[in-house]
Amino acid sequence: MYRREFSQANQSVITDNKTLEREINLAKVIQSKLLNGEKPKLDKDDISGVSIPARLIGGDYFDFYPLPNGRLRVVIGDVMGKGIPAAMLMILTRGAFRTAAESTQGPGETLTAMNNALYKDLRSLSSFVTVFCADWEPSTGAFYYSNAGHSLPIVVRKTSELIEIPKIKGVMLGGLPDQVYKEEKITLQEGDFIFLYTDGIIEARNREGDMYKEGRLIKVLKENVSKTAVEIETVVIDSVTHFTEGVAQRDDITMVSMKVGKDKTDISSFNSPLV
Amino acid sequence: MLQYSTTQEDSHLTVTFDGDFDIEATELIQDTIKPMLSDYSIVTINLSKVPFVDSSGMGLLIDLVRSMESSATVVRIAEVREEVFEVFELLQLPEILGEGTFV
Repeated sequence: MYRREFSQANQSVITDNKTLEREINLAKVIQSKLLNGEKPKLDKDDISGVSIPARLIGGDYFDFYPLPNGRLRVVIGDVMGKGIPAAMLMILTRGAFRTAAESTQGPGETLTAMNNALYKDLRSLSSFVTVFCADWEPSTGAFYYSNAGHSLPIVVRKTSELIEIPKIKGVMLGGLPDQVYKEEKITLQEGDFIFLYTDGIIEARNREGDMYKEGRLIKVLKENVSKTAVEIETVVIDSVTHFTEGVAQRDDITMVSMKVGKDKTDISSFNSPLV
Repeated sequence: MLQYSTTQEDSHLTVTFDGDFDIEATELIQDTIKPMLSDYSIVTINLSKVPFVDSSGMGLLIDLVRSMESSATVVRIAEVREEVFEVFELLQLPEILGEGTFV
């Protein structure tokens, strides 16, 4: 009698685990599809993005949103924490970005609208999101950007020269209410490569506990600037993998990269996504 | 793994952390540290032995400070290493927690 009850209880746990595993895998598929949706096709420029979660699903986020004025709005973000809780907030962040992108003039306004939309929820959940948002204007080479507590991108000229871009700070989303996010602007030239990333890259550790750090990342980007955006992303992933010597990935790794083409370009073959 | 030690002087408690302040510290902070601090009117969090704080650790720290402040405890964060403070500044932690929190 006891043995039969124990067996039934054990069977129930196995079924629950299988259900949980199935649901997590479905969540992984959903997140992967949302992150790896259709990329904008630029006439001349080369753009790419990739996200590798540390666990089955992650809290990093990147997205592209073509605007009616010919600009392309780009965003990269890192939700505090890891795994399922972070993934849930990442979906919330995505919705806030897509809603804000449609109704705001520039990246600064987008971050302000996102913070206004998310602040109460994030505060009540004791969570935060760092976000870097930019508008790429292919017709002029202008790159407008704003920052909510995220790392600034790395810009490398085709000559492998590192470009120091104007620093800009802003409180991470969920940090303080009613924030106004400032904007900066740089002008990119033909062959320039711009790399947006989350801290999972530079904070990756090897067996000795040493971190990959920004210096190694810059070196890799400078050495491979002649390659395509996708190729450079692959080289970065390979470099981090080689450095970590098989140590399990601790944090989500996400990057968005763009290489400026020869002539002025138009964004085509891509409709503004539905929210 | 994050470790901690405490020193007490009347109603002032100093908690000195040792190790990385990351997601692995969640249970220690939520289950051990947070309940322990509510008995004191002044708490100093000493980070001199913390070489790294990731985004999860940052969230834990902010949550810890805010929960203590809501119970009228005066909180100070002391001896933050330069490399850690650079990350705090990027995230504008002094603005979020108040400039006076860092000593």
